[in-house]
Amino acid sequence: MKVTLNWLKDFVDIDISAEELAEKLTSAGFEVEELSYQNKHLHDVVVGKILKIERHPQADKLVVCQVDIGDKTTQIITAATNVFEGAIVPVSLPGADLINGIKISVSKLRGVESFGMFCSGEELGIDDNYFEGASVNGILILPEDFVPGTPIEKALNLDDIIFDINVTPNRPDCNSVIGIAREVCAVLSKQIKDVDFSYETVKNDNIQNYIDIEVKTENCPSYMGAVVKNLKIERSPIWIRSRLNAVGIKPINTIVDITNYVLIEQGQPMHAFDYENIEGKKIVVRQAEKDEKIAVLNQNSYILDGNDMVIADANKPMVIAGVIGGLNSCINNDTKITVFESASFDLKSIRITSKKLGVRTDSSARYEKGVSPVFQEIGLKRALNLIYKMQCGEIVDGIIDRKQVEIKEKNLVGSLARIDKILGIEIDREKIKQILNNLGIKTEINGDVITYQPPVCRDDIENENDLAEEIIRIYGYDVYDNFEGALFENSKVTEGKYHDRFKFENNLKNQLVDYGYYEVLNYSLYPSNACEKLLITDERINCVKIVNSLSEDLSTLRTVMAHSILSNISYNLSVNNKNLRFFEVGRVYLPKELPLKEQPVEQNKISMAVCHDGFNFFNMKHDVLALLEGLNLEYDLVYSKQPYLHPGVSADIVTKEGDVIGCFGKLHPTVAKNYDLPKEVYYAELDTDYLSTLTEKQYKVKEVPKYPIVERDLALLVKEEVSNKELYDSIKSSCGKMFYDLALFDVYRSDSFGENIKSMAYNLRLNNIEKTMTDEEVNQIIKKVLKALEYKFGAKLREL
Amino acid sequence: MEVKLREIQKTATEEILNVKDKKELNDVRVKFMGKQGLLTSILRGMKDLAEEERKTVGALANVVRGEIENNINLKMKMFEAEELERTLNSEKIDISENAVGIEKGALHPVSRVINKLVDICVAMGYEILQGPEVETDYYNFEALNIPKNHPARDMQDSFYISDNILMRTHTSPMQARTMEVRKPPFKIIVPGRVYRNDNDSTHSPVFHQMEGLVVDENISMADLKIQLNIMMQRLFGENIKTRFRPAFFPFTEPSIEVDVSCPNCGGTGCRICKGTGYLEMLGAGIVNPKVLEMSGIDSKKYSGFAFGTGIERPAMVKNSITDMKSLFKNDIRFLKQMK
Repeated sequence: MKVTLNWLKDFVDIDISAEELAEKLTSAGFEVEELSYQNKHLHDVVVGKILKIERHPQADKLVVCQVDIGDKTTQIITAATNVFEGAIVPVSLPGADLINGIKISVSKLRGVESFGMFCSGEELGIDDNYFEGASVNGILILPEDFVPGTPIEKALNLDDIIFDINVTPNRPDCNSVIGIAREVCAVLSKQIKDVDFSYETVKNDNIQNYIDIEVKTENCPSYMGAVVKNLKIERSPIWIRSRLNAVGIKPINTIVDITNYVLIEQGQPMHAFDYENIEGKKIVVRQAEKDEKIAVLNQNSYILDGNDMVIADANKPMVIAGVIGGLNSCINNDTKITVFESASFDLKSIRITSKKLGVRTDSSARYEKGVSPVFQEIGLKRALNLIYKMQCGEIVDGIIDRKQVEIKEKNLVGSLARIDKILGIEIDREKIKQILNNLGIKTEINGDVITYQPPVCRDDIENENDLAEEIIRIYGYDVYDNFEGALFENSKVTEGKYHDRFKFENNLKNQLVDYGYYEVLNYSLYPSNACEKLLITDERINCVKIVNSLSEDLSTLRTVMAHSILSNISYNLSVNNKNLRFFEVGRVYLPKELPLKEQPVEQNKISMAVCHDGFNFFNMKHDVLALLEGLNLEYDLVYSKQPYLHPGVSADIVTKEGDVIGCFGKLHPTVAKNYDLPKEVYYAELDTDYLSTLTEKQYKVKEVPKYPIVERDLALLVKEEVSNKELYDSIKSSCGKMFYDLALFDVYRSDSFGENIKSMAYNLRLNNIEKTMTDEEVNQIIKKVLKALEYKFGAKLREL
Repeated sequence: MEVKLREIQKTATEEILNVKDKKELNDVRVKFMGKQGLLTSILRGMKDLAEEERKTVGALANVVRGEIENNINLKMKMFEAEELERTLNSEKIDISENAVGIEKGALHPVSRVINKLVDICVAMGYEILQGPEVETDYYNFEALNIPKNHPARDMQDSFYISDNILMRTHTSPMQARTMEVRKPPFKIIVPGRVYRNDNDSTHSPVFHQMEGLVVDENISMADLKIQLNIMMQRLFGENIKTRFRPAFFPFTEPSIEVDVSCPNCGGTGCRICKGTGYLEMLGAGIVNPKVLEMSGIDSKKYSGFAFGTGIERPAMVKNSITDMKSLFKNDIRFLKQMK
């Protein structure tokens, strides 16, 4: 919301600087986002009168002018061709710093000194809309009655300061100069000025002779109308154009400017109908009929339905209520009689229509935020007052008022003790009373009881919390700056608690960091082709879509973690970053059905991806399985069914119940290609929802062996398809109680073993908990081990 | 005999003094003390001496032998010490080299701030909760006193999935979800991801927040001030000050914006705080009694405060990160700096 200092001064005496006021408004909850000075680039520019023009002795295209600038005559050289002796012009003097970046100093032009420059409208930052002649290509010729020496900002009414204020949605009453002025009163402890909005009407004529108004919808709590005849539609006076210009509204003509002026000053949108085009001489406020069509001022036509509200005459809709006027009834330069509309509409209704049609205007923007049913009368009267002041029409006697609501101030009662409790401090009762009264909230205090009557337009004030806010924002939050007290002094102790999954995830994260992984963070939104790139064809291709997504890249809620982290690896490789170990903790979102009827299931996962010199499947296996240590979890590893992993170099982690709770392995070569990755990229994923529910492993520590451990190395020749696990299980079982430990330390392949044969070398450690083992006993066990291996797998001891 | 012993003692001492290494020393040992050694021979010849003389010479011989042995041992120790010194010197390595292929990784700056805030709050009696990111309109808006078609909805641009389901625009829905199922007193924090339909140099469509909610009897704005002071001081440093400014959030009343004195310049004004000395850090307020009532909590008996802080901003301020987007780019050249 933009308001100007001078405009505010119409309603309240301001005796502090604009900067101080801005600070005070900000501390009171009306953040001044910007202060701009109309005259910022107008200093050292004055009105001048050209007394004499002579040819430049050295240059054909230049002339030398003697100019009266009030206290003296100065010499200025110009190339402008539209100047003449006697012309009144803007003169920028040495020191001026114009809006287009030109800085003025004394200079010599072809040997003759020039003490300044004449200015065009553009160089002063104005155009024809603001000041007639300002758009000409040449020097701005000012009216003859402008007095030489007058600073140009005064002469052109460009000396105002503009406050751009962020008005929060709870204060629609402050979307106006008068609304902000009320707040200024509160922060400065002043009273609002009584401004004369009176006007005179043509007594021998009455509005009844012109028009009738009927409201046939609940969405219009208040509708008022007035008629003005013998309109003079022309350029408005400079003071009104100046104000509109300052707040960013283009001046057009008297009637339009008046409606805009009232909109800004009173926060009341106005509409002016061309009376001649109102068929049946009747205005009807109603819901639109289905498929009703209207062509409007933005040159579009819209088809409406029963959710939209229109202002119609006897036969046709004339305005989409509160949103935009129709072409069929708007005023033009020849309009002689106008009907002014001043209405209040239901904010939701306006919002729905404005959104649906995609039409947003100054008017709809106000109505969406809420225009109180108390503003119409003052708005309409102000408009008529301006007509009267500017003498641009004759006001027909009488106003039609179709109010459907009763306007009454609420009498509310509250407790001061409660306000103290909310604020945690006690503010002086007299001060409270003063603050609230200055805000227009009529307040009485009697012991603990506070009786208050907020202005009708302040329907945001209902209870002690609302009052507490009003009091403290004006009193000042800095009261807490030096507040000393104990936290939760008057409340109970509660137990601090970590969330199970949050804590579990943090443990994993820290462990992975120790293993050399970096944490990455990705959006949980990805492009719709992610599953395709990952070769996924199962139910995960059913993704939740964002209806109003920003881009295709962020259009879909992820159902799989892999896409994001693989893209991270790919990106890093593309910028020549090497040796990457990444993990991400995040969610996937699995819809129960599509289209979505209820929220999707959100599953928490941790994903890992590695592209690192020398890193292989077994490194990944180690890193993943290490994360599971310490959990009360039994699992098997089977070749992974994840389509994005290499089917022969990957594993799913399967619980005893048969649930897959994770996977790891080498990327499928096609997927690697899809992400521009080399073949040696490893990926892993764990279900942290499941894992974080597991209890800690119960440790049952066995005593350290008392008798010596015996070691034997066994190099076994077996077929390729025999797995380490099979050999391990067999050896372990053969050793029985004497088994202590078994470790695979070498896998070796050589043509000399024969086709499809590998050597698996194990270090077997045996121990008898009761006595030292003899060679005889050990040999017996080894014999048993080898016999079983040969029987089950055809394994042979490799001759060394 | 005595003369001979003295002679041997003298020669041995000299020779021991002059040996250059362990081998020469050993040769000396053999020369004098070995089976055929000079001293050994003398001792062997003692059996031919008279009783009286044998006693004297024997005593002397023992002294001489002791002295030679002692000298040899001392010399040996000296050589061993020198040898150890040489070995140690030769084993010296370049400690500025590093292990190949293994180094520690790092947590993301966002995680670090979340962890820090969470630790601070848990120690203050808060419980961590987690909630859904895909929310219903009811919890994201209506239960927080933001009815449909209310102007306050303009404050947050939402990603919609259907008319009634959207990506949560803040962590605040967990306020309502918690109040519905819990009885006061409670203190909760909810760190998590939130979504806004906004993507430019200073806005990310996905970012992180941490919600805090305390409901009990007698919870006041003064409690909120102390809570936030402690939280911000533990996060940014002991000298940090907080400043309250009035604001509007439909689910709190009164509502405030909280600024912290700039941790970079200490409040004197710098590039990071754009010369103001303060940084906008979070929104907070006293829980609107309407919200308490909607969630079934007696607003006459109980009151509460709530706060919601972004995570990216403190993460940026703490780590001198100037580009918000770099937090989600996951470039290892960025991540490595968080070690």
